[in-house]
Amino acid sequence: MAIKKDVYKEFEDVVGVENISDDPAIKAAYRSPDITVVLPGNTEEVAAVIRLCNKHRIPYKAQSTGWLLFAPTYDFIFLDLRRMNRIIEINEKNMYAVVEPYVISAELQGELFKRGMICNVKGSGSTCTALAMSGHGHMGLTTSTGDRNELATEWVTDEGEIVRIGTLGASDEWFCGDGPGPSLRGILRGGGVITKQATKVYHWPGPSEYPLEGLSPRYKLTKKPSELNMMVRYFSFPSIEKLIEAELKIGEAEIAFELMGFNPSMVSSNITTSNEEDFATLDRFTKEVQGPGFMVIIAGNYDEDFAYKKKVLAQIIKETGGQSLKAVEDPDVEATLLFQCTRVSASIRETFRAGGMFSSMMVQGQRYDNHVRWLEEAAVWKRELIKKGLVIADDGQQFGWGEEQGHLGHTEIFCRYNPYDEKSSEAVQKWMERVGKRALEGCFAVPSMGVLPVDVVGKKVSNYHIWFGKLKKAFDPNGVGEQTGFSYVGADSAAAHTSIYEKPEKAAKE
Amino acid sequence: MAIEDYRGDVEMCCRCSACKHIPLQKVKGVEHSEACPSISRYNFHAYSGSGRLLIAKEMLTNGFNYTDKLLDIVYNCQMCGACDISCKYAMDMEVLLPINEFRIRCVETGHTHPALDKVIKSLRQQGTMVPGAKGKRAAWAQGLGLKDATKEKVEVYYHVGCLTSYDKDYQKLAKATAKILKKAGIDFGIGYENESCCGGRAFQMGYKDDFLKQARKNMAMLKKAGVKTLVTGCADGYQAFKVLYDRYNLKGELEVLHISEYFARLIKEGKLKLNKKVNMAVTYHDPCYLGRLGEPWIHWKGKRVPGYKFVFDPPKEYRRGTNGVYEPPREVLKSIPGLKLAEMDRIKEYAWCCGAGGGVNVSNPEFASWTATERIEEAESTGAEAIVTACPWCEQNFNQAIKESGSNLKVYDIVELVEKAV
Repeated sequence: MAIKKDVYKEFEDVVGVENISDDPAIKAAYRSPDITVVLPGNTEEVAAVIRLCNKHRIPYKAQSTGWLLFAPTYDFIFLDLRRMNRIIEINEKNMYAVVEPYVISAELQGELFKRGMICNVKGSGSTCTALAMSGHGHMGLTTSTGDRNELATEWVTDEGEIVRIGTLGASDEWFCGDGPGPSLRGILRGGGVITKQATKVYHWPGPSEYPLEGLSPRYKLTKKPSELNMMVRYFSFPSIEKLIEAELKIGEAEIAFELMGFNPSMVSSNITTSNEEDFATLDRFTKEVQGPGFMVIIAGNYDEDFAYKKKVLAQIIKETGGQSLKAVEDPDVEATLLFQCTRVSASIRETFRAGGMFSSMMVQGQRYDNHVRWLEEAAVWKRELIKKGLVIADDGQQFGWGEEQGHLGHTEIFCRYNPYDEKSSEAVQKWMERVGKRALEGCFAVPSMGVLPVDVVGKKVSNYHIWFGKLKKAFDPNGVGEQTGFSYVGADSAAAHTSIYEKPEKAAKE
Repeated sequence: MAIEDYRGDVEMCCRCSACKHIPLQKVKGVEHSEACPSISRYNFHAYSGSGRLLIAKEMLTNGFNYTDKLLDIVYNCQMCGACDISCKYAMDMEVLLPINEFRIRCVETGHTHPALDKVIKSLRQQGTMVPGAKGKRAAWAQGLGLKDATKEKVEVYYHVGCLTSYDKDYQKLAKATAKILKKAGIDFGIGYENESCCGGRAFQMGYKDDFLKQARKNMAMLKKAGVKTLVTGCADGYQAFKVLYDRYNLKGELEVLHISEYFARLIKEGKLKLNKKVNMAVTYHDPCYLGRLGEPWIHWKGKRVPGYKFVFDPPKEYRRGTNGVYEPPREVLKSIPGLKLAEMDRIKEYAWCCGAGGGVNVSNPEFASWTATERIEEAESTGAEAIVTACPWCEQNFNQAIKESGSNLKVYDIVELVEKAV
């Protein structure tokens, strides 16, 4: 059902005739048969569009860069924020950057590198929005996590009111998300549209630009990582306990720039340029590793600093029985991992290349050792699917990384599969539910976003969903905003919910 | 191959949006990070490589719905292939090929663009992609005493191309090429009135049958003339003879060289000496059809291995832009005394298109100029006083945009600079 012509005209008056469409071809690219797509160019246009949604009681959904095939939406107004792609400010002195929603992380990172700084890049990769938001990233050891990087924010509520959160509410400054000025960070993910946001940025000890040569997809560093005072190694450990011990010691010593708990399949995906090469490399790696592992990147600020960090790392690895994966010691492989993982340019290889889709369970913000047993169970169940040939045969392992030098962390496990294979999709969906239930029942973490019903989850977590509903009603009295019931208490199921692959004809009837 | 044959590739699109940007390792900041003119100009996801695949997926499932907007999306694409390269940095799937097949389907079902129809009418009637072309194809060669390759055996056949033959502003390129080849002592000839359009641009526009007719006609003529090496200064022509003719098993043993490759070879062999100083700071624009799309065709036949992986038996080797013609033009420019070459941010396999491809220069001149203006500004940011290209269509489109924008940047074909240096 399309919106009426006179109502369409009101939206057109806000964004201009070039920036609105309900043509079937346009909608097909958004995989949603019942939407009108608008492309607002600034905050005022976003607010005006949302006010119109309230006036006509039309539901809306907004998207920054997006990543992966989101569920078809039946909300009538779809705000694609692509035209809002400006870096508003990079404040070197106070170490923050202010961006609009469609600045991608690669762009912000490129600008920051020139200034000796770096931002958090979400695990989804550097094609995604540079807004701080909730995304956790592989460099979290030193660049923290999305929600903890959020500073002052410009936010349009579900009623179309422009709210300036944190210092921005009391001045023109962006340096703090909590005040002086209103602090609403806790409910930002409940609705509305973030139109500008300041994110913390961090010291970058690496080069202002990687010296690359060669052609896609095989770029190479013209220098050895050691010539940049950088080193990449992958260590496997005899047990998960030893891995955790090493991870905590590295955090305490504050010697690593990045500690990414890749499993071997993620290492092989990053350094290879085709599926065939990937699977062959993974076979070799799987035979060589002794147990669970992680990749670590050392970055020295100067020669002595580099030497010191390497020495401490060697001592920790010795104490914990770590074993270096020899292939990664090859300077070419090491260099590839270095620029891939610090620029987060190969997440697509890790996730989509093999089968086309992945579904993931993750715990954000908690240390690895808090819930590793649950993830190990999830890995056992995943291996059952591998044995049945339903998901990609990687090693089945979970992965994760320390954040803020190990005080916090992120862990995750995903299945890669072909979303058009009904058996695979069904099996992965059941695996997600099983893992989600175990997380909830075992008090490990809180699954959400479609894995389990919100009220089932809410009862276990102080009935947060009831409180969330009240907040939602207060901020969105006309019910035009998203009704996701999103929680941010523990685990999220990232990536695609398998139900998005319902056949279009079935979806259209709903 | 038809669009249906690419269903698996279309379904592999995960909407990561890599197709919108240059390979992420090459992004240096907010400037010049975009790869695709179409999504950059029109912003709706439908105009991106991913959006085009998602439309194809929808229409393969629920039938083709040729709305005006769909045709606007289809024909506002230069078929430059930047999306394809950026996607394949990480993924194993085809992007440009299904987009091309989608356009072919539009043409086959009569959903054409009137401006492109006019060009194709000219091709069918006069054998040229320059509508309203007057006079003889080889009028530029009058009095030069060049050999007629269809009448006498020559080592090298120079395929002049439509724009260079018929447009008076670009006939200078043909004259300069002939002069340089003579100076290098090359035994070469041209086809005079037997030369016909390569068909490459017709293929880009979706007129596959017209392309095939041209290809067969050209190869019959070249075979009869006993031509072993074909040289052309047109990037579209190069890609047609080198890649498309091979794709459709029409090329045979014909050696196809772009004039920049041939010059680089002659310089290395000492046959072409560039002695005169050309004191100029320039930047080089990689034409899409010489660079990333000039990569040789890879003949592969196989089947998808049943199961959850997107892999094939035998393994499929993808064209990822790695083997395009990037170095020869640069080698030639570096051989010119006094010339200073500065590189733009987007080069080689991830170069920004000039805007003229896919027939956009005639179907939507405003979009073609917008695209060219983006490139001109990028060229100016290097401090260069001129942008050098290796295709007359690029040169024409840049000149048009400069005329509209009032930029002081000069535009040269690589042949013109070599002519200055010999």
